[in-house]
Amino acid sequence: MKNAMSVKGALLKSTLLAGAVAASTVAARGEDVTIGVLVPLTGELGEFGKIVAGAVELGVDEVNAAGGTKCGNLRTVVADTGGNPEVGIREATKMIESEGAVAVVGPTSGVMVALVDLAKRTKTVIMSPYAGTITLNELGGDYVYRTVSSDLGDGAASGLWLTDKGYKRVAFMVQNEESTISPAQVAREKLESSGIELTDYVVYNPGQPSYQAELVSVLAHEPDAIYLAGGQESGVTVIKEATAGGFEGEWLFTADLAVPEIFDAVGAQYLNDRAYVEFADSDSSLPEYKAFEALYKEKTGGEPGPFASNSFDMVNLIALSLESADSCTGEGINGVIRAVAEGGEAVGSFAAGKEAIAAGKDINYEGASGPLTMDESGTPDGAYSIQQARDGKWENVKFYPASAFE
Amino acid sequence: MTLLAQYALTGVVTGCFLILATIGFSLTRQVEGFLNIAHAELLGVSAFITWGLNAGAGWPIVPAAIVAIVATAFIGLFIGRVVYDPIRRLGPAVVLISSVGVAYVIAGLMHAIIGTGIRTLDVPLATTFKFFGLRITNYQMIVVGLAALTGISLALFLNRTRTGLAIRAMSTNPELAASRGIDVRQTSRATWLLSSGLAGLAGVMLALIATLSTDIAFHQILQILAVAILAGLGSLYSVIVAGLIVGIAMDVSVFWIPAGYRPLIAFAVVIIALVVRPEGLSMKSSS
Repeated sequence: MKNAMSVKGALLKSTLLAGAVAASTVAARGEDVTIGVLVPLTGELGEFGKIVAGAVELGVDEVNAAGGTKCGNLRTVVADTGGNPEVGIREATKMIESEGAVAVVGPTSGVMVALVDLAKRTKTVIMSPYAGTITLNELGGDYVYRTVSSDLGDGAASGLWLTDKGYKRVAFMVQNEESTISPAQVAREKLESSGIELTDYVVYNPGQPSYQAELVSVLAHEPDAIYLAGGQESGVTVIKEATAGGFEGEWLFTADLAVPEIFDAVGAQYLNDRAYVEFADSDSSLPEYKAFEALYKEKTGGEPGPFASNSFDMVNLIALSLESADSCTGEGINGVIRAVAEGGEAVGSFAAGKEAIAAGKDINYEGASGPLTMDESGTPDGAYSIQQARDGKWENVKFYPASAFE
Repeated sequence: MTLLAQYALTGVVTGCFLILATIGFSLTRQVEGFLNIAHAELLGVSAFITWGLNAGAGWPIVPAAIVAIVATAFIGLFIGRVVYDPIRRLGPAVVLISSVGVAYVIAGLMHAIIGTGIRTLDVPLATTFKFFGLRITNYQMIVVGLAALTGISLALFLNRTRTGLAIRAMSTNPELAASRGIDVRQTSRATWLLSSGLAGLAGVMLALIATLSTDIAFHQILQILAVAILAGLGSLYSVIVAGLIVGIAMDVSVFWIPAGYRPLIAFAVVIIALVVRPEGLSMKSSS
C-alpha cells in the first residue's frame, strides 16, 4: 500500500525532475562528467535521501572548486525513487543512456540490489552511502560499491556491546525482516561464543496491535537485557508491553530506534539510564571528519545528518578515480576505485589527492566517514556508536572503531 | 503450565480484539452482501481521530474515543451511500473490488494528512494485574470487557429492537424483507452506521494498545478475513466463537512454534475448520 502511494508521488516528482534535467543538460558544458544522484526524496526514507543529495552536491562543488577532474567538471542529475526499485531502474537507465552518467550514487538497499545487473551491463559504477543489506555482500564488488558497512557489522557491534556490558542472560526480539535478522544472527553467535545465556530468540512479525504473546516467554525468563532489533512501530509497542509486564532489565535497540521520538512515544522515564542504542557512525575524532563537519557547517549552516559524510565520500572517491583512471568512463572508475582508497599517500580531500596524483604518487583516500578500504564485495569496514538514554536524550557512551572488530 | 495458561489468556485478549474488529465486517457482509475490504481502514480512521483529539488537542481519552466512534460511523455511512449504493446492482464482485479502491483512497488520505512516523495516545503506561500467576493489563481487560459488552448489546439490539429485527430480516432474505414492508434503504443506513461504529470501537482499542502508523490498520485485514471466513456467513454469534478460536490458537501456538508463524496459524485453523465444516461455524450456507 505504502509503495503504491509513493510510486504515484515518485512519478509526479520524476516528471518534474525530468524537465529540470532537460534544462540543465542544455546548460552543461561538453566536457563535463555526469553523476546520477538516485535517492528517495519522497516516502519513508525521504529525509535520508535529502541529506544524501545535499552532501553529494557539497562534494561536487568542492571538486569543481578545486578545478574539477582531468575529465572535466562534475555535474549531477537528480531523480527520486521513492525507495521503489522499479522506479530506480527506470531513472537509472535514463541517467546512463540519455544523460551519459558514468556513475549513479545514492540508491537505498532495495534499489541498489535491483540495479546490480544494469550497472554491470552498462559498465556504470553504482554506489550507496547507506545500503547495509547483506545481499550486496554477495553481489557487490564489481561496479557495485558502498561507503557504508554491511548490516552484519551492526550485529558484530551489538554482540560486542552485550558482551562488554557483562550481561549473563539476554533475550532477543527480532523483527521478521532480512535487515534485522541477519545482524541479530551475528550478535547471537558472538553471545554464544562468549558463554552468555540466550534466554529467548523470538522472531516476530511487524504490524501487530500487540506483541504480548511474543513476550510471554521472554518476560518469564527475566533476562538481564533484551536486544530489540525492530522498527519504530513494533519496537515502541514491545518496549511498552515489556515494561508494563514487569521487565526491569536493560535494553539494546538497533538503529531504527535511535531517534528522539522514542522518548515521547514510550515515556522517557522508562528508558532513562537503562536503554542503549547501536548504530553505524562516523569516527568523529578523525581529522577528515572534523574537516568535513566544518565545511558542512560553513556551507549549509547546519549539522551534517546521518550518512552525510558517507555521501560526501562517494563523490571524492569517484572524482579521484576519474583523476587517476585511463579513461573518463565507468569502466575507468571501476578499474582504479579500490586502489584510490587503499595503499599509498594518505589524502583527506579531493584537492590533496589531485595534487598527489599529479606528482605521480599512489594515493589512499581517507574518507570523512572513516577508512574506505573495501573488501571483496566493495564494502568498507564500519565504525559504530552506542548511545545511552539519559534525561530523555540519546548520549554517546561508547565508540567502536573499525579496528575493534579485527 | 502457568506459561501455557498465560499464552491462552493472551490469546483470549487477541481473540477479543479480533471479535471487535470483525463483527462490523461480518454485519456488512450479511446485510450488504459483500466483503468490505475497506473496513480495516476505518479502524485506522477512528484510531487517528482518537489520537488527534487526545494527543493533539489534549482531550481526555473517553470523549475523544466517543467522538472518534461516532465520526467513523458517519464516515462509513457516507462511503456506503456515495460509493457502494450506486454500484451495488453490479454484483458483489464489483463492490468488493471497489472496496479495495476505497481502502487505498482512505489510506492515501491518512498518509497525506498524518504523514509518516509513529503516533501514540497520551495515556499512562498499562498497569499489570496478577491473578494466580497470570498477567493481564488494564488495557487488555478493557478490550475483553468491551468485546463482551459489544456481543451482548448487539444480541439485544438485533433481537429486541425494530431496526435490529429489520437488519436480521434483511440479512436472511432481502427480497422477502422488502416485500414484507421493511424499509430497505433505512435498514441499510442503520447497518452502515452500526458496522462502521463497531470498526470505530475497534480502532479506539487499536489506538489504546498499539503504536500507530498509517499502515497498521490495513495489516489487520487478513486476520479479520480469517475470523470472518471461519465464522461463516450466517450468524454474528459465530464471529465471537471464531475470534476466540483464532486468537487463542495463534497465541498458544507460540508455546511450540516460533512466533513468526502466528499469522500462518490463523489461516491453518481456518483451513482445517473449513475442511471439517465447509459452511463455517454458523452452519448456514451463503444466501
